Amino acid sequence: MTKNILHFGILFIVMVLLQIVCSKILLFDLATPLIFIYFIIRLPMNLSKNWVYTLSFFLGLVVDIFNNTQGMNALACTLMSALRQPVFNIYMPREDDMSNPIPSIQSLGTGVYLKYMITLVVIFCLFIFMIQSFTFSNVALTLLRALCSSVLTIVILFGIDSLMSTRREKRL
Amino acid sequence: MNNLLNFLIKHVSWFVFMFYVITSCVLLFRNNPYQQSVYLTSANAVASTVLEGYSSVTSYFNLKDINEELQQRNAALEMQVVALKNELANVKLQLPDTTHVQPVVSQFDYVVAHVISNSVSQPYNYITINRGTADGIVPEMGVVDHNGVVGMVNVVGEHSARVISLLNPHMKLSCKVKRNGFFGSMVWDGKDPEFAMLQELPKQGKYQKGDTIITSGYSAVFPEGIIVGTVESVSKELSDNFVSLRVRLATNFMQLSTVRAIKNKMKVELKLVESKDEKSANTKKGG
Repeated sequence: MTKNILHFGILFIVMVLLQIVCSKILLFDLATPLIFIYFIIRLPMNLSKNWVYTLSFFLGLVVDIFNNTQGMNALACTLMSALRQPVFNIYMPREDDMSNPIPSIQSLGTGVYLKYMITLVVIFCLFIFMIQSFTFSNVALTLLRALCSSVLTIVILFGIDSLMSTRREKRL
Repeated sequence: MNNLLNFLIKHVSWFVFMFYVITSCVLLFRNNPYQQSVYLTSANAVASTVLEGYSSVTSYFNLKDINEELQQRNAALEMQVVALKNELANVKLQLPDTTHVQPVVSQFDYVVAHVISNSVSQPYNYITINRGTADGIVPEMGVVDHNGVVGMVNVVGEHSARVISLLNPHMKLSCKVKRNGFFGSMVWDGKDPEFAMLQELPKQGKYQKGDTIITSGYSAVFPEGIIVGTVESVSKELSDNFVSLRVRLATNFMQLSTVRAIKNKMKVELKLVESKDEKSANTKKGG
């Protein structure tokens, strides 16, 4: 338990720091990687909803503070965290046979985990770019940006996942 | 009562969720960028420390370009100094000794600062600089770099401050066309970080591509005559009496490094006079 708290505490800080760098990236004027939501994706499935909402909100708020985007990431993170459990249940109906409650390639299998991660990332990017475009409404461009950012984010997250899993296998 | 309590306990996560959503919506839709707590912006102590560490690495990346720009600017200023010196010598020759050319006391002062965080891709862009109240930065100071206008100080921490970039629709800058003196207000349209719109210019003025746009000096924020950009194209506005100009900004917002915050020494006095004016106007209205 303490190990988990420590693990997620470090993950929180690392994700925020990485996101500061990633927020400066704008590939082809379209894609910005939004990798900090990896923290929300990885939160254990048996964690109470209140904790998930709280952690997501504060993660978003911290990223907002660094990016000066008052409340934008906080709102999108909170909304996405509410959809986490339903999305998970779609792909994984029997939740009682999970030995490890943290979603990962090992605990869910590559297919299910990828579907779960990709869905959440796409949802988050749609939220973020819709909130952004309240002021500048250009639907096609917004969708294109959301799509490109999703793809970029998914690629990077998949890279992080494979890095983490290979390290763990070596240790075993 | 018991039922109500049970209901609340059963749905407590829902209330938590709604609380967070409403909080973030309040933050998001509070449109006034001036009434913000320092702690919720990048000017707070923790954020600025992290950003400064980050920028201590990345600030080296564009040094070559920036150096070249500085050299060009330096050369232009040197030429100007030579020209002015010649002019001054000529004037002194023509005038008798008793009427000396009076030295002018400068109304403005500068604080040099480094940009530690900057964005150009958001709908509302902000810049963070590493100088704060301890260095004499106060809100509503103008910020310029060697190329032109950058923005205006907005929220100030002890050792850092957040600047509203010119690439932010909250920032309205009073500018004029250098050639004929017609003025309008500059707003960013949220599309391209290299261009902004100069709106509400009177129709009767003649505007050409390449005209220089400078600050008007009508507010106490910027001195008159700082370069903002050059005219790219002229377009009509919805109403017949005005035109708007698409302006190529002089400042390269992608490569901001060192900026200067402008201190207006007469700001307090100007404010005092303005408030007196308002007061007397109010009493006249009342009477």
